[in-house]
Amino acid sequence: MLCERCKIREANIQYTEVIGGVKTEHHFCAQCAKELDFGPYSAIFDTDFPLGKLLSGLLGVMGSDEQEEKETPQIVCPTCKTSYEEFIKDSRFGCPDCYGVFDLLITENMKQLQGSDTHKGKRPRGLQKIKPVPVVVSARGAETASGTDAEQIQSFEQKLKEALRLEDYETAARCRDEIRRLREGSAAE
Amino acid sequence: MKWYEYVDSDRPGVISSRVRLVRNLDHCVFPAKLSVKENEEMIRRLEYGLQDIGSVDGRNYQFSMLQDMSDLERKSLRERHVFNSTIASRKSPVGLILSDTEDCGIILGGTDHIRIQILSSGLCLEKLWEDCDKMDDYIGERFPYAFDEKYGYLTSFPTNVGTGLRASVTIHLPNLSKGKKFSGLTAEMGRFGAKVWGIYGEGNENYGSLYEVSNQKTLGLTEKEILDLVNRLALQLLSQENQVRKLALEKHRLECEDEAYKSYGVLKYARRLSSKDAMVFLSQLMQGIHDHILVMEEPCPVYRLMLGIQPANLQKDSSRPLSKEELDVERAAYIRAALPDLKQ
Repeated sequence: MLCERCKIREANIQYTEVIGGVKTEHHFCAQCAKELDFGPYSAIFDTDFPLGKLLSGLLGVMGSDEQEEKETPQIVCPTCKTSYEEFIKDSRFGCPDCYGVFDLLITENMKQLQGSDTHKGKRPRGLQKIKPVPVVVSARGAETASGTDAEQIQSFEQKLKEALRLEDYETAARCRDEIRRLREGSAAE
Repeated sequence: MKWYEYVDSDRPGVISSRVRLVRNLDHCVFPAKLSVKENEEMIRRLEYGLQDIGSVDGRNYQFSMLQDMSDLERKSLRERHVFNSTIASRKSPVGLILSDTEDCGIILGGTDHIRIQILSSGLCLEKLWEDCDKMDDYIGERFPYAFDEKYGYLTSFPTNVGTGLRASVTIHLPNLSKGKKFSGLTAEMGRFGAKVWGIYGEGNENYGSLYEVSNQKTLGLTEKEILDLVNRLALQLLSQENQVRKLALEKHRLECEDEAYKSYGVLKYARRLSSKDAMVFLSQLMQGIHDHILVMEEPCPVYRLMLGIQPANLQKDSSRPLSKEELDVERAAYIRAALPDLKQ
Protein backbone atom coordinates (compact mmCIF):
# COMPACT_ATOMS: atom_id res chain seq x y z
CA MET A 1 0.00 0.00 0.00
CA LEU A 2 1.25 3.47 -0.80
CA CYS A 3 1.46 6.21 1.77
CA GLU A 4 -1.81 8.14 1.72
CA ARG A 5 -0.04 11.47 2.12
CA CYS A 6 2.76 11.44 -0.46
CA LYS A 7 1.39 8.53 -2.54
CA ILE A 8 4.96 7.76 -3.58
CA ARG A 9 6.55 5.65 -0.89
CA GLU A 10 5.34 2.37 0.55
CA ALA A 11 3.29 2.90 3.74
CA ASN A 12 4.82 1.09 6.67
CA ILE A 13 3.17 2.87 9.57
CA GLN A 14 -0.42 2.20 10.43
CA TYR A 15 -2.00 4.87 12.57
CA THR A 16 -5.39 4.24 14.12
CA GLU A 17 -7.25 7.28 15.35
CA VAL A 18 -10.26 6.98 17.64
CA ILE A 19 -12.22 10.20 18.00
CA GLY A 20 -15.55 10.09 19.78
CA GLY A 21 -15.75 6.34 19.28
CA VAL A 22 -15.18 6.62 15.52
CA LYS A 23 -12.16 4.64 14.39
CA THR A 24 -10.20 5.75 11.34
CA GLU A 25 -7.14 4.03 9.96
CA HIS A 26 -4.31 5.87 8.24
CA HIS A 27 -1.32 4.52 6.40
CA PHE A 28 1.81 6.60 6.15
CA CYS A 29 5.40 6.10 5.13
CA ALA A 30 8.06 6.73 7.74
CA GLN A 31 9.06 10.05 6.21
CA CYS A 32 5.56 11.51 6.15
CA ALA A 33 4.87 10.18 9.62
CA LYS A 34 7.88 12.08 10.81
CA GLU A 35 6.57 15.30 9.34
CA LEU A 36 3.08 14.88 10.74
CA ASP A 37 2.21 15.83 14.26
CA PHE A 38 1.20 12.88 16.40
CA GLY A 39 1.39 14.80 19.62
CA PRO A 40 3.17 12.87 22.34
CA TYR A 41 3.86 9.93 20.00
CA SER A 42 5.89 11.95 17.52
CA ALA A 43 9.14 10.84 19.07
CA ILE A 44 8.55 7.30 17.88
CA PHE A 45 9.02 8.38 14.26
CA ASP A 46 12.28 10.17 14.85
CA THR A 47 14.80 8.26 12.83
CA ASP A 48 17.08 7.65 15.75
CA PHE A 49 14.50 6.45 18.19
CA PRO A 50 16.30 3.55 19.81
CA LEU A 51 13.48 1.01 19.97
CA GLY A 52 15.81 -1.73 18.87
CA LYS A 53 18.49 -0.74 21.32
CA LEU A 54 16.71 -1.85 24.42
CA LEU A 55 19.01 -4.76 25.13
CA SER A 56 22.07 -2.64 24.45
CA GLY A 57 20.69 0.00 26.77
CA LEU A 58 20.19 -2.51 29.53
CA LEU A 59 23.65 -3.92 29.08
CA GLY A 60 25.28 -0.52 29.32
CA VAL A 61 26.45 0.25 32.81
CA MET A 62 25.68 3.91 32.49
CA GLY A 63 22.26 5.45 31.96
CA SER A 64 21.21 7.12 28.77
CA ASP A 65 22.73 10.40 29.84
CA GLU A 66 25.24 11.37 27.18
CA GLN A 67 27.61 13.01 29.59
CA GLU A 68 27.90 9.79 31.52
CA GLU A 69 28.24 7.69 28.42
CA LYS A 70 31.41 9.46 27.50
CA GLU A 71 32.94 8.28 30.73
CA THR A 72 32.38 4.60 29.99
CA PRO A 73 35.74 2.95 30.52
CA GLN A 74 37.56 2.08 27.31
CA ILE A 75 38.24 -1.58 27.94
CA VAL A 76 39.33 -3.66 24.99
CA CYS A 77 39.55 -7.44 24.83
CA PRO A 78 43.19 -8.19 23.98
CA THR A 79 42.28 -11.31 21.98
CA CYS A 80 39.65 -10.06 19.56
CA LYS A 81 39.95 -6.28 20.02
CA THR A 82 36.28 -5.90 20.91
CA SER A 83 35.88 -2.79 23.04
CA TYR A 84 33.39 -2.66 25.85
CA GLU A 85 31.54 0.06 23.94
CA GLU A 86 31.30 -2.18 20.91
CA PHE A 87 29.96 -4.98 23.07
CA ILE A 88 27.27 -2.68 24.46
CA LYS A 89 26.34 -1.48 21.00
CA ASP A 90 25.94 -4.93 19.40
CA SER A 91 25.02 -6.85 22.57
CA ARG A 92 27.46 -9.50 21.50
CA PHE A 93 30.87 -10.75 22.48
CA GLY A 94 33.75 -11.11 20.06
CA CYS A 95 35.45 -14.17 21.51
CA PRO A 96 35.41 -16.48 24.55
CA ASP A 97 38.01 -14.30 26.30
CA CYS A 98 35.64 -11.30 26.30
CA TYR A 99 33.74 -12.92 29.14
CA GLY A 100 36.82 -12.83 31.35
CA VAL A 101 37.84 -9.35 30.28
CA PHE A 102 34.40 -7.78 30.80
CA ASP A 103 33.48 -10.05 33.71
CA LEU A 104 33.35 -7.38 36.37
CA LEU A 105 31.35 -5.03 34.19
CA ILE A 106 28.78 -7.52 32.98
CA THR A 107 28.08 -9.69 35.99
CA GLU A 108 25.22 -7.50 37.24
CA ASN A 109 23.67 -7.18 33.79
CA MET A 110 23.97 -10.88 33.31
CA LYS A 111 21.95 -11.39 36.46
CA GLN A 112 19.29 -9.03 35.16
CA LEU A 113 19.21 -10.63 31.75
CA GLN A 114 19.42 -14.25 32.78
CA GLY A 115 18.29 -14.18 36.39
CA SER A 116 21.62 -15.67 37.38
CA ASP A 117 25.31 -15.33 36.65
CA THR A 118 26.40 -18.87 37.39
CA HIS A 119 26.17 -21.88 35.14
CA LYS A 120 24.52 -24.94 36.66
CA GLY A 121 24.11 -27.25 33.69
CA LYS A 122 26.20 -29.64 31.69
CA ARG A 123 30.00 -29.49 31.53
CA PRO A 124 32.18 -30.66 28.69
CA ARG A 125 33.00 -34.32 29.13
CA GLY A 126 36.48 -34.88 30.48
CA LEU A 127 36.56 -31.44 32.04
CA GLN A 128 36.53 -32.15 35.76
CA LYS A 129 35.08 -29.75 38.23
CA ILE A 130 37.86 -27.76 39.84
CA LYS A 131 38.60 -29.46 43.12
CA PRO A 132 41.29 -28.75 45.69
CA VAL A 133 44.46 -30.56 44.67
CA PRO A 134 47.89 -30.69 46.29
CA VAL A 135 50.03 -27.58 45.91
CA VAL A 136 51.29 -26.97 42.41
CA VAL A 137 54.25 -24.68 42.23
CA SER A 138 54.00 -22.44 39.23
CA ALA A 139 56.88 -21.24 37.12
CA ARG A 140 56.05 -17.74 38.21
CA GLY A 141 56.20 -18.85 41.79
CA ALA A 142 56.95 -15.50 43.34
CA GLU A 143 53.83 -14.00 41.89
CA THR A 144 51.56 -16.92 42.57
CA ALA A 145 49.95 -17.38 45.90
CA SER A 146 50.65 -20.93 46.96
CA GLY A 147 47.69 -23.17 47.66
CA THR A 148 45.37 -25.34 45.67
CA ASP A 149 44.54 -24.67 42.04
CA ALA A 150 41.11 -23.45 42.96
CA GLU A 151 42.55 -20.98 45.45
CA GLN A 152 45.12 -19.82 42.97
CA ILE A 153 42.46 -19.30 40.35
CA GLN A 154 40.43 -17.34 42.80
CA SER A 155 43.35 -15.14 43.69
CA PHE A 156 44.10 -14.54 40.02
CA GLU A 157 40.48 -13.72 39.37
CA GLN A 158 40.66 -11.06 42.05
CA LYS A 159 43.86 -9.70 40.61
CA LEU A 160 42.22 -9.66 37.20
CA LYS A 161 39.29 -7.68 38.47
CA GLU A 162 41.54 -5.25 40.26
CA ALA A 163 43.73 -4.84 37.17
CA LEU A 164 40.67 -4.17 35.04
CA ARG A 165 39.47 -1.59 37.47
CA LEU A 166 42.83 0.16 37.26
CA GLU A 167 42.81 -0.33 33.49
CA ASP A 168 46.10 -2.19 33.72
CA TYR A 169 45.46 -4.49 30.79
CA GLU A 170 48.89 -6.03 30.68
CA THR A 171 48.45 -7.48 34.15
CA ALA A 172 44.87 -8.41 33.34
CA ALA A 173 45.89 -10.39 30.29
CA ARG A 174 48.64 -12.14 32.30
CA CYS A 175 46.14 -13.08 35.01
CA ARG A 176 43.72 -14.36 32.41
CA ASP A 177 46.38 -16.59 30.84
CA GLU A 178 47.40 -17.81 34.28
CA ILE A 179 43.78 -18.70 35.11
CA ARG A 180 43.40 -20.53 31.84
CA ARG A 181 46.64 -22.43 32.41
CA LEU A 182 45.54 -23.47 35.89
CA ARG A 183 42.12 -24.54 34.67
CA GLU A 184 43.57 -26.58 31.87
CA GLY A 185 46.05 -28.07 34.30
CA SER A 186 43.35 -29.24 36.67
CA ALA A 187 41.21 -30.47 33.80
CA ALA A 188 44.02 -32.62 32.50
CA GLU A 189 44.45 -34.39 35.79
CA MET B 1 10.27 -39.52 5.19
CA LYS B 2 10.88 -36.04 6.58
CA TRP B 3 10.21 -35.40 10.23
CA TYR B 4 7.25 -33.10 9.56
CA GLU B 5 5.39 -35.76 7.58
CA TYR B 6 4.61 -37.80 10.66
CA VAL B 7 1.19 -37.32 12.20
CA ASP B 8 0.99 -37.60 15.96
CA SER B 9 -2.56 -38.59 16.69
CA ASP B 10 -2.03 -39.09 20.45
CA ARG B 11 -1.67 -35.42 21.16
CA PRO B 12 -2.98 -33.54 18.16
CA GLY B 13 -2.50 -30.08 19.65
CA VAL B 14 1.27 -30.47 19.67
CA ILE B 15 2.88 -29.82 16.32
CA SER B 16 6.57 -30.20 17.00
CA SER B 17 9.39 -30.08 19.54
CA ARG B 18 12.81 -28.59 19.00
CA VAL B 19 16.07 -28.53 20.92
CA ARG B 20 18.88 -26.18 19.89
CA LEU B 21 22.36 -26.07 21.35
CA VAL B 22 24.96 -23.37 20.73
CA ARG B 23 28.68 -24.08 21.15
CA ASN B 24 31.93 -22.31 20.38
CA LEU B 25 35.47 -23.51 19.93
CA ASP B 26 38.00 -22.74 22.60
CA HIS B 27 40.81 -20.36 21.61
CA CYS B 28 38.96 -19.12 18.56
CA VAL B 29 37.22 -15.77 18.17
CA PHE B 30 33.51 -15.87 17.30
CA PRO B 31 32.49 -16.00 13.60
CA ALA B 32 31.57 -12.31 13.39
CA LYS B 33 35.20 -11.41 14.15
CA LEU B 34 36.67 -13.88 11.68
CA SER B 35 37.49 -12.92 8.10
CA VAL B 36 35.74 -14.73 5.26
CA LYS B 37 38.84 -16.84 4.72
CA GLU B 38 39.23 -17.69 8.41
CA ASN B 39 35.56 -18.60 8.60
CA GLU B 40 35.94 -20.91 5.63
CA GLU B 41 38.98 -22.56 7.17
CA MET B 42 37.19 -23.06 10.47
CA ILE B 43 34.19 -24.63 8.71
CA ARG B 44 36.43 -26.92 6.64
CA ARG B 45 38.25 -27.99 9.79
CA LEU B 46 34.97 -28.82 11.54
CA GLU B 47 33.60 -30.54 8.46
CA TYR B 48 36.71 -32.70 8.19
CA GLY B 49 36.61 -33.63 11.87
CA LEU B 50 32.91 -34.46 11.75
CA GLN B 51 32.87 -36.65 8.65
CA ASP B 52 31.71 -39.63 10.65
CA ILE B 53 29.00 -37.80 12.53
CA GLY B 54 26.41 -40.28 11.27
CA SER B 55 27.96 -42.91 13.56
CA VAL B 56 26.51 -41.06 16.57
CA ASP B 57 22.86 -41.63 15.74
CA GLY B 58 22.77 -43.68 12.54
CA ARG B 59 21.31 -40.81 10.53
CA ASN B 60 22.49 -40.03 7.00
CA TYR B 61 24.19 -36.67 6.84
CA GLN B 62 24.97 -34.37 3.94
CA PHE B 63 27.42 -31.52 4.09
CA SER B 64 26.84 -28.31 2.16
CA MET B 65 27.75 -24.64 2.13
CA LEU B 66 24.90 -22.15 2.25
CA GLN B 67 26.77 -19.92 -0.20
CA ASP B 68 26.64 -22.64 -2.85
CA MET B 69 22.87 -22.84 -2.59
CA SER B 70 20.39 -20.73 -4.53
CA ASP B 71 18.52 -18.02 -2.70
CA LEU B 72 15.34 -20.05 -3.11
CA GLU B 73 16.88 -23.18 -1.63
CA ARG B 74 18.05 -21.24 1.42
CA LYS B 75 14.64 -19.64 1.88
CA SER B 76 12.81 -22.94 1.60
CA LEU B 77 15.12 -24.50 4.21
CA ARG B 78 14.40 -21.57 6.47
CA GLU B 79 10.67 -22.06 5.98
CA ARG B 80 11.15 -25.67 7.01
CA HIS B 81 12.89 -24.41 10.18
CA VAL B 82 16.32 -25.87 9.42
CA PHE B 83 17.80 -22.51 10.35
CA ASN B 84 16.60 -19.02 11.12
CA SER B 85 16.51 -15.93 8.93
CA THR B 86 19.72 -14.49 10.45
CA ILE B 87 21.65 -17.50 9.22
CA ALA B 88 19.78 -17.60 5.90
CA SER B 89 20.82 -14.03 5.09
CA ARG B 90 24.42 -14.27 6.30
CA LYS B 91 26.98 -13.00 3.85
CA SER B 92 30.03 -14.87 5.18
CA PRO B 93 30.44 -18.63 4.73
CA VAL B 94 28.11 -20.92 6.64
CA GLY B 95 28.33 -24.71 6.63
CA LEU B 96 25.37 -27.03 7.05
CA ILE B 97 25.40 -30.69 8.06
CA LEU B 98 21.85 -31.91 7.59
CA SER B 99 20.30 -35.33 8.02
CA ASP B 100 18.25 -36.59 5.07
CA THR B 101 15.12 -36.52 7.23
CA GLU B 102 15.86 -32.83 7.95
CA ASP B 103 15.35 -33.36 11.66
CA CYS B 104 18.96 -32.97 12.76
CA GLY B 105 20.94 -30.03 11.47
CA ILE B 106 24.30 -28.61 12.48
CA ILE B 107 25.18 -25.09 11.42
CA LEU B 108 28.87 -24.25 11.29
CA GLY B 109 29.90 -20.62 11.42
CA GLY B 110 26.54 -18.89 11.94
CA THR B 111 26.40 -16.44 14.82
CA ASP B 112 28.34 -19.06 16.78
CA HIS B 113 30.82 -21.70 15.63
CA ILE B 114 28.46 -24.62 16.14
CA ARG B 115 24.67 -24.77 16.38
CA ILE B 116 23.07 -28.18 16.80
CA GLN B 117 19.33 -28.46 16.28
CA ILE B 118 17.05 -31.47 16.45
CA LEU B 119 13.38 -31.29 15.53
CA SER B 120 10.60 -33.81 15.77
CA SER B 121 6.85 -33.95 15.49
CA GLY B 122 4.97 -34.42 18.76
CA LEU B 123 5.99 -33.61 22.31
CA CYS B 124 9.36 -35.22 23.01
CA LEU B 125 11.83 -32.69 24.36
CA GLU B 126 13.59 -35.22 26.58
CA LYS B 127 14.25 -37.64 23.77
CA LEU B 128 15.52 -34.81 21.59
CA TRP B 129 17.81 -33.63 24.36
CA GLU B 130 19.26 -37.13 24.72
CA ASP B 131 20.14 -37.13 21.03
CA CYS B 132 21.44 -33.59 21.16
CA ASP B 133 23.52 -34.35 24.25
CA LYS B 134 25.20 -37.28 22.50
CA MET B 135 25.88 -35.20 19.44
CA ASP B 136 27.31 -32.47 21.65
CA ASP B 137 29.64 -34.92 23.43
CA TYR B 138 30.80 -36.32 20.12
CA ILE B 139 31.70 -32.89 18.74
CA GLY B 140 33.14 -31.74 22.06
CA GLU B 141 35.53 -34.69 22.16
CA ARG B 142 36.96 -33.68 18.82
CA PHE B 143 36.87 -29.91 19.20
CA PRO B 144 37.34 -28.50 22.70
CA TYR B 145 34.60 -26.01 23.54
CA ALA B 146 34.92 -22.55 25.03
CA PHE B 147 33.73 -23.20 28.57
CA ASP B 148 33.97 -21.03 31.66
CA GLU B 149 33.55 -22.18 35.25
CA LYS B 150 31.25 -19.29 36.01
CA TYR B 151 29.38 -18.61 32.77
CA GLY B 152 29.31 -22.14 31.37
CA TYR B 153 29.40 -22.51 27.58
CA LEU B 154 30.44 -19.19 26.07
CA THR B 155 28.41 -17.79 23.19
CA SER B 156 28.37 -14.74 20.93
CA PHE B 157 25.21 -13.39 22.49
CA PRO B 158 24.79 -13.09 26.25
CA THR B 159 21.22 -14.37 25.75
CA ASN B 160 22.52 -17.87 24.96
CA VAL B 161 25.35 -18.23 27.46
CA GLY B 162 25.44 -21.02 30.06
CA THR B 163 23.68 -24.07 28.73
CA GLY B 164 23.38 -22.63 25.21
CA LEU B 165 20.09 -24.50 25.15
CA ARG B 166 16.85 -23.34 23.63
CA ALA B 167 14.00 -25.82 23.94
CA SER B 168 10.76 -25.09 22.17
CA VAL B 169 7.42 -26.68 21.49
CA THR B 170 5.05 -25.56 18.76
CA ILE B 171 1.39 -25.91 19.68
CA HIS B 172 -1.92 -25.21 18.01
CA LEU B 173 -4.13 -22.84 20.02
CA PRO B 174 -7.06 -21.84 17.79
CA ASN B 175 -9.54 -21.31 20.62
CA LEU B 176 -7.42 -20.01 23.45
CA SER B 177 -5.76 -17.41 21.23
CA LYS B 178 -9.15 -15.92 20.31
CA GLY B 179 -9.93 -15.18 23.95
CA LYS B 180 -9.40 -11.80 25.50
CA LYS B 181 -7.22 -13.21 28.21
CA PHE B 182 -4.69 -14.68 25.82
CA SER B 183 -2.31 -11.73 25.72
CA GLY B 184 -2.33 -11.67 29.50
CA LEU B 185 -1.59 -15.37 29.53
CA THR B 186 1.37 -15.04 27.19
CA ALA B 187 2.69 -12.09 29.18
CA GLU B 188 2.51 -14.22 32.28
CA MET B 189 4.74 -16.80 30.64
CA GLY B 190 7.52 -14.25 30.85
CA ARG B 191 7.39 -14.48 34.60
CA PHE B 192 8.23 -18.15 34.39
CA GLY B 193 11.14 -17.38 32.11
CA ALA B 194 9.40 -18.55 28.95
CA LYS B 195 8.24 -16.88 25.78
CA VAL B 196 5.16 -17.57 23.67
CA TRP B 197 4.94 -16.13 20.20
CA GLY B 198 2.88 -16.62 17.05
CA ILE B 199 4.82 -18.29 14.28
CA TYR B 200 3.05 -17.00 11.17
CA GLY B 201 1.58 -13.58 10.57
CA GLU B 202 2.59 -10.09 11.50
CA GLY B 203 1.94 -7.93 14.51
CA ASN B 204 -1.08 -9.04 16.47
CA GLU B 205 -2.37 -11.26 13.71
CA ASN B 206 -1.47 -14.89 13.65
CA TYR B 207 -2.56 -16.94 10.67
CA GLY B 208 -2.89 -20.57 11.60
CA SER B 209 -2.88 -20.15 15.39
CA LEU B 210 0.47 -21.87 15.78
CA TYR B 211 2.46 -20.72 18.78
CA GLU B 212 5.94 -21.53 19.94
CA VAL B 213 6.75 -21.85 23.64
CA SER B 214 10.44 -21.58 24.47
CA ASN B 215 12.74 -20.84 27.39
CA GLN B 216 14.12 -17.31 27.63
CA LYS B 217 16.88 -17.95 30.10
CA THR B 218 19.84 -20.17 29.40
CA LEU B 219 22.01 -19.52 32.43
CA GLY B 220 21.57 -20.64 36.03
CA LEU B 221 19.27 -23.53 35.13
CA THR B 222 20.20 -27.11 34.36
CA GLU B 223 19.25 -28.52 30.98
CA LYS B 224 16.64 -30.70 32.63
CA GLU B 225 15.08 -27.72 34.40
CA ILE B 226 14.80 -25.89 31.08
CA LEU B 227 13.19 -28.88 29.35
CA ASP B 228 10.77 -29.38 32.23
CA LEU B 229 9.77 -25.73 32.22
CA VAL B 230 8.97 -25.61 28.51
CA ASN B 231 7.25 -29.00 28.66
CA ARG B 232 5.11 -27.95 31.61
CA LEU B 233 4.07 -24.62 30.13
CA ALA B 234 3.22 -26.14 26.76
CA LEU B 235 1.05 -28.77 28.44
CA GLN B 236 -0.57 -26.12 30.59
CA LEU B 237 -1.51 -24.03 27.56
CA LEU B 238 -2.80 -27.12 25.78
CA SER B 239 -4.96 -28.20 28.66
CA GLN B 240 -6.52 -24.73 28.78
CA GLU B 241 -7.04 -24.84 25.02
CA ASN B 242 -8.77 -28.20 25.32
CA GLN B 243 -11.06 -26.91 28.04
CA VAL B 244 -12.15 -23.97 25.92
CA ARG B 245 -12.67 -26.27 22.96
CA LYS B 246 -14.70 -28.74 24.96
CA LEU B 247 -17.02 -25.95 26.02
CA ALA B 248 -17.37 -24.72 22.45
CA LEU B 249 -18.20 -28.23 21.24
CA GLU B 250 -20.80 -28.71 23.95
CA LYS B 251 -22.54 -25.43 23.35
CA HIS B 252 -22.00 -24.81 19.66
CA ARG B 253 -21.57 -28.22 18.09
CA LEU B 254 -23.28 -27.24 14.86
CA GLU B 255 -21.10 -24.15 14.32
CA CYS B 256 -17.96 -26.17 15.01
CA GLU B 257 -18.97 -28.84 12.50
CA ASP B 258 -19.97 -26.23 9.97
CA GLU B 259 -16.62 -24.48 10.25
CA ALA B 260 -14.65 -27.70 9.87
CA TYR B 261 -16.60 -28.89 6.81
CA LYS B 262 -16.54 -25.47 5.17
CA SER B 263 -12.77 -25.29 5.60
CA TYR B 264 -12.38 -28.74 4.12
CA GLY B 265 -14.61 -27.75 1.23
CA VAL B 266 -12.65 -24.59 0.44
CA LEU B 267 -9.30 -26.34 0.70
CA LYS B 268 -10.48 -29.26 -1.42
CA TYR B 269 -12.02 -27.20 -4.23
CA ALA B 270 -10.62 -23.65 -4.21
CA ARG B 271 -8.68 -22.56 -7.30
CA ARG B 272 -6.82 -19.69 -5.63
CA LEU B 273 -5.69 -19.37 -2.04
CA SER B 274 -3.67 -16.59 -0.46
CA SER B 275 -1.13 -17.57 2.16
CA LYS B 276 -3.23 -16.06 4.92
CA ASP B 277 -6.50 -17.74 3.86
CA ALA B 278 -4.82 -21.09 3.41
CA MET B 279 -3.27 -20.92 6.87
CA VAL B 280 -6.60 -20.00 8.47
CA PHE B 281 -8.49 -22.82 6.72
CA LEU B 282 -5.74 -25.35 7.43
CA SER B 283 -5.87 -24.38 11.08
CA GLN B 284 -9.64 -24.99 11.11
CA LEU B 285 -9.11 -28.26 9.27
CA MET B 286 -6.57 -29.30 11.90
CA GLN B 287 -9.12 -28.52 14.58
CA GLY B 288 -11.84 -30.49 12.78
CA ILE B 289 -9.58 -33.55 12.57
CA HIS B 290 -8.62 -33.10 16.21
CA ASP B 291 -12.29 -33.10 17.24
CA HIS B 292 -13.00 -36.19 15.09
CA ILE B 293 -15.51 -34.16 13.11
CA LEU B 294 -13.54 -34.75 9.94
CA VAL B 295 -12.49 -38.34 9.39
CA MET B 296 -10.35 -38.94 6.37
CA GLU B 297 -9.46 -41.97 4.32
CA GLU B 298 -5.83 -41.66 5.40
CA PRO B 299 -3.96 -39.55 7.96
CA CYS B 300 -3.69 -35.95 6.80
CA PRO B 301 -0.37 -34.28 7.67
CA VAL B 302 -1.76 -30.77 8.03
CA TYR B 303 1.52 -29.35 9.32
CA ARG B 304 3.33 -30.64 6.26
CA LEU B 305 0.81 -28.72 4.16
CA MET B 306 1.39 -25.59 6.24
CA LEU B 307 5.12 -25.81 5.50
CA GLY B 308 4.56 -26.75 1.90
CA ILE B 309 2.41 -23.71 1.05
CA GLN B 310 5.02 -21.18 2.18
CA PRO B 311 6.24 -19.10 -0.79
CA ALA B 312 9.75 -20.49 -1.26
CA ASN B 313 8.61 -24.10 -0.89
CA LEU B 314 5.87 -23.62 -3.48
CA GLN B 315 8.20 -21.77 -5.78
CA LYS B 316 10.95 -24.35 -5.70
CA ASP B 317 8.84 -26.97 -7.49
CA SER B 318 8.17 -24.60 -10.36
CA SER B 319 10.56 -24.20 -13.26
CA ARG B 320 10.06 -20.42 -13.54
CA PRO B 321 9.50 -17.56 -11.09
CA LEU B 322 5.85 -17.21 -10.12
CA SER B 323 3.96 -13.97 -9.52
CA LYS B 324 1.87 -13.55 -6.39
CA GLU B 325 -1.33 -14.49 -8.26
CA GLU B 326 0.31 -17.57 -9.77
CA LEU B 327 1.55 -18.57 -6.33
CA ASP B 328 -2.04 -18.43 -5.05
CA VAL B 329 -3.14 -20.75 -7.86
CA GLU B 330 -0.20 -23.06 -7.19
CA ARG B 331 -0.99 -23.08 -3.48
CA ALA B 332 -4.61 -24.11 -4.04
CA ALA B 333 -3.49 -26.86 -6.43
CA TYR B 334 -0.89 -28.14 -3.95
CA ILE B 335 -3.46 -28.44 -1.18
CA ARG B 336 -6.11 -29.99 -3.45
CA ALA B 337 -3.70 -32.68 -4.51
CA ALA B 338 -2.53 -33.51 -0.99
CA LEU B 339 -5.87 -33.50 0.82
CA PRO B 340 -7.24 -37.04 1.33
CA ASP B 341 -10.92 -37.74 0.73
CA LEU B 342 -13.38 -37.76 3.62
CA LYS B 343 -14.56 -41.11 4.87
CA GLN B 344 -18.14 -41.67 3.80
